[in-house]
Amino acid sequence: MSALIDQAIRQAGLDDVLSARRSGPVTAQHVERLRACDLLVLGALADRVRAQEVGDLVSIHTDAPPEAEPGVLVLPGSGAELTGLALLREVAMARATGPRAGRIRVDWTRCGLELAQIALAFGANELVGRIASKRGLPLLTGEKLGVGKKSRLEDAEVVKRRELEGFVRRAGRTPWFAEETP
Amino acid sequence: MLDAIRTKVEQSERLSFEEGVFLFRHPDVVAVGLLANQVRERLHGDRAYFNRNMRIEVTNVCVASCLFCSFARLEEGSPGAHTMKLEEAWGELEARMDDPPGEVHIVNGLHPGLPFSYYEDLLRGFKRIKPDVHMKCFTAVEIHFFAQHYGMSHREVLERLRAAGLDSLPGGGAEIFHPEVRARISHDKATADEYLEVHRVAHALGVRTNSTMLYGHIETFDHRVDHLLRLRALQDETSGMQAFIPLAFHPDGNEMRNLPAPTAIDALRTVAVSRLLLDNVPHIKAYWVSMTPEVAQIALRFGADDVDGTIVHETIYRAAGSRSPSGLTVDSLVRLIQEAGRIPVERDTLYNVVREHPRASLPEAALKVRDRNARRHLEVLS
Repeated sequence: MSALIDQAIRQAGLDDVLSARRSGPVTAQHVERLRACDLLVLGALADRVRAQEVGDLVSIHTDAPPEAEPGVLVLPGSGAELTGLALLREVAMARATGPRAGRIRVDWTRCGLELAQIALAFGANELVGRIASKRGLPLLTGEKLGVGKKSRLEDAEVVKRRELEGFVRRAGRTPWFAEETP
Repeated sequence: MLDAIRTKVEQSERLSFEEGVFLFRHPDVVAVGLLANQVRERLHGDRAYFNRNMRIEVTNVCVASCLFCSFARLEEGSPGAHTMKLEEAWGELEARMDDPPGEVHIVNGLHPGLPFSYYEDLLRGFKRIKPDVHMKCFTAVEIHFFAQHYGMSHREVLERLRAAGLDSLPGGGAEIFHPEVRARISHDKATADEYLEVHRVAHALGVRTNSTMLYGHIETFDHRVDHLLRLRALQDETSGMQAFIPLAFHPDGNEMRNLPAPTAIDALRTVAVSRLLLDNVPHIKAYWVSMTPEVAQIALRFGADDVDGTIVHETIYRAAGSRSPSGLTVDSLVRLIQEAGRIPVERDTLYNVVREHPRASLPEAALKVRDRNARRHLEVLS
């Protein structure tokens, strides 16, 4: 990790948050300072906490039940109308102030894959969403998709999984599918 | 190396080719964004610019066959080919005169069958409807095509168009300058040198321009940095470039549809590295049509200081499968900028301030919602 991030965290007066993550509680006073700080500094801190506590693996859930598992925070929450920046802040705050090694899952069907990918750099470590067609319709069993210049037909599910995998890899992380191909 | 780069950035020193490539490759996009944001805030504070503009594409007939293009229909008469009658083009502005845009932005295919007077009349007509409208029209690639097709020099083309009402040039058509890429994706239009020469001539005539880079297809990071540094060298010479706009490649419906589109992280990184390398270009634009309004908003904290304008009716990215809306209202642009914690500044094409909007303060109710959400999140996690 770079000294640049160290310095930014130090300048924002947040280095004791990092030590509090390792030993001792994150206090209300820490939370206040985290709230007031620049989004990117908060994101950098959350990303570092994420790397330390849960590592680089991103588990992808394409067949998860609509209600969240206990102990897993799914963002954006239902009913919330969040802008992209507010979502990133929520993800980062949950990572920086929540319990150790928290499972923070982003629902790409609610915020879009673009934002979900960025959220991975702000503290998220799981992705959830049902694989669907471009228009949002569920895939049919055995549905094919034209791929490449010659529109060679491939299993749509496989193509979509490959896309998701690419999104995670391009965020510099390691994808892992929680459910096997049905 | 990142720390050496940080020191250079803090001392406003110029970054090298190798440093540019290093920044593109650096895994920590937030760190690169933090650096770019420093430069952005040094130049523009918290201001973020937008304008009231409208886009018109008068013809999609085009003699060039760029692989990345989903817009052009090569010949008049092919399915989907369309060339507007002058009255039709003017009608687009007339229809909006109750809340008129400050700028009309026109980009077209390279149509082989129109007389040069079509373009002159086009400009004159818009100025007749609204004499103070800013005409930002024709990319350097179009200007070069006009010069070849109608047997004039770049200077003659620009002088005649300017006499008819042209005010500035948009930045499109740059794609990737490096011949390894350009020869493969757009071999039959202006070369890099020709593109840059048109800009040079325009700047000498006092015509300001923007510039672009189409990224995320077959190019490497080396090609991107090479592209940015060629623009930086031209800007050292002329200082005529106002803004640089990175354009994300969209793969639907074109000859490169086998490639994945660049992701949001790549978009943010490209904005950030552009801000850091182009130390002599005043503005870096997060063009919301190319990157979606959501990502453009985040880009305002990764080095961008402008989100372009209201656009109204964009068709080029639409054809390539962009999920962005084809236009945004002034209110939604103001809100988008305010939510990013920036000060919305409506500008004209030349970056004169039209109106500075207030910075947003979070209302009490929003703070309560935020606190309630945060408490709930912690309960779920523990």
